[in-house]
Amino acid sequence: MRLPSGVRDWLPQEFAFKQSVEDRIAVVFDRWSYARILTPTFESYESLERGLGEKLMRQTFRFSDPLGEELALRTEMTTPIARVVSTRLRNASLPIRLSYIAPAYRYEEPQLGRMREFTQAGAELIGAAGADADAEALFMAIETLDAVGLSDAQFDINDSAIVDGALVTLGLSAVAARSWKEAIAARNLVDLDSFASRDAVHPERYALLRRLIVTRGTAEVLAMARELAPNPEAQAAIYRLERILARGSNLGFGARLAIDPALLRDLEYYTGFVFEGFLGDLGFSLCGGGRYDALLPRFGYDVPAVGWMVGVERILLALERRRIGERRRREVDVFVVGSDRAAMAERASGRRVRVDVRGLDRDAAMAYARHKAIPRVLIARGDALEEILLEADEQAPL
Amino acid sequence: MSALTIALPKGSLYEESAALLAAIGIDIPSDPGRRLTMMSTDGSAELLLLRPTDVPAYVEFGAADCGIVGKDTLWESERSVSEAVDLRFGACRLVVAARRADGFHEGARYPTFLRVATKFKRMATQYFSERDIPCEIIALHGSVELAPIVGLADVIVDLVATGSTLREHDMVVVDEIARSTARFVLNPVAYRSKYARLSALCDRLQRSLVR
Repeated sequence: MRLPSGVRDWLPQEFAFKQSVEDRIAVVFDRWSYARILTPTFESYESLERGLGEKLMRQTFRFSDPLGEELALRTEMTTPIARVVSTRLRNASLPIRLSYIAPAYRYEEPQLGRMREFTQAGAELIGAAGADADAEALFMAIETLDAVGLSDAQFDINDSAIVDGALVTLGLSAVAARSWKEAIAARNLVDLDSFASRDAVHPERYALLRRLIVTRGTAEVLAMARELAPNPEAQAAIYRLERILARGSNLGFGARLAIDPALLRDLEYYTGFVFEGFLGDLGFSLCGGGRYDALLPRFGYDVPAVGWMVGVERILLALERRRIGERRRREVDVFVVGSDRAAMAERASGRRVRVDVRGLDRDAAMAYARHKAIPRVLIARGDALEEILLEADEQAPL
Repeated sequence: MSALTIALPKGSLYEESAALLAAIGIDIPSDPGRRLTMMSTDGSAELLLLRPTDVPAYVEFGAADCGIVGKDTLWESERSVSEAVDLRFGACRLVVAARRADGFHEGARYPTFLRVATKFKRMATQYFSERDIPCEIIALHGSVELAPIVGLADVIVDLVATGSTLREHDMVVVDEIARSTARFVLNPVAYRSKYARLSALCDRLQRSLVR
């Protein structure tokens, strides 16, 4: 029997590693007072579709129930959460803070860091606009990567209003501006150069824009952006980024933050602030997020939102590459032979108990305990109970 | 500081790639022999010598920070890499070509079910479907020009540099689909994490082309 491609089994040790990472993430979510939520693995395609861009739509596993209703596996968690908030949590006071650690499904060519079933952890702050909410999403992501042991992760931030503002000054049509943005998002300078001649853009203005989008930094990027995108929306965005950087520096994140004006992420989804977290030794980003003020209105609830997510498997990959494994813990605290009541009492006092089911004699039981590095053995002898403690050096190493 | 890793295509683009890198101060042998990897003379870069079609994968996964690859290779690979510089060498055109005798280049109608032999399945499929021309794509790996001669296909979609291969087989260009040159490509995350060095490298490449 073979598994379909893009999915995997998690054997006990692998699963324990994954679980330990998820536990650490959950602690950060809890400390930021984000309540955990879970939505169904599949729901109606019509509902999920509202949050899907063109690419995700092509990657959605779709099927129908016997009555012909079109269903789909969730490709991410934000859209189901938007649905829940706009229906069952509609009367809850804003802002709402929700988090999740759950599998999602995408039809992808399976490759390193991309599976068809994968685990996303993320957080959504719904009903709050502005830089404070944006900063909360970013700082929470940084603290999450710190908590799993990736405290050298770098974070690039941006606001799409800057590129939008700069493109407005070039006098492009909406269609042309769209193709420019796609080229900028992919940092495809060859295409961008060809668009500049196609759309007969003023060469000096184009040179300035080109310089902006290949530059990554802090103050100098903001200064360039201020000149190139004079419209009020862009100026406000620049001010917000400046504040987020200042607050980040105050927390000691200064050296890990930069502005990348070409960071646009999913153009159909994000409406302003965006960020991405990455490591120097991994060719793809670990986490990302941003403001998606247009999503909840698609469910008839006109509130702003900001959120972020991290790929759990990608974290595992990064940790493994650094040989940071899960600290192996003892699997069994006590081995009990021949006494249900002793075993029950041990479990009740919180110890991990393994019960003999093979009728082992004393020597075999001791050999087993030594082999499995179990430090304590209880053997029933009539009504009495013999307790044997194994010396640390008698046990097999963990 | 660790060296930058640059993926280079073996074969027709290698010599000009090496010359270009030498021009911006990254000296590497003009003939790599059978080596798979090598360091530049100044130790600033590690070069991976790859089959051209493998370059996008190495760069996308970050096994290489950047690389040189023909646009024609990028068309067919669905890899997401950033095209930073058009290096202008290795120029060729992707064309629809057919036997002169069939007259397609002079407006003769295509058969009802056009058979297209090509190494460029994605580009060919896109070209004919955009024009609503029903066709069957026959994916081949080499000597595509043989297909119309032996009746395997009506037309071919293939790269043309000088046109001599087509002339030899009495074939002509029916239509041009796209133009290709060598590109300097980047891993998008490497561009951020090794920003100072990679952006400087792009600038040097761009400037060396202007001269």
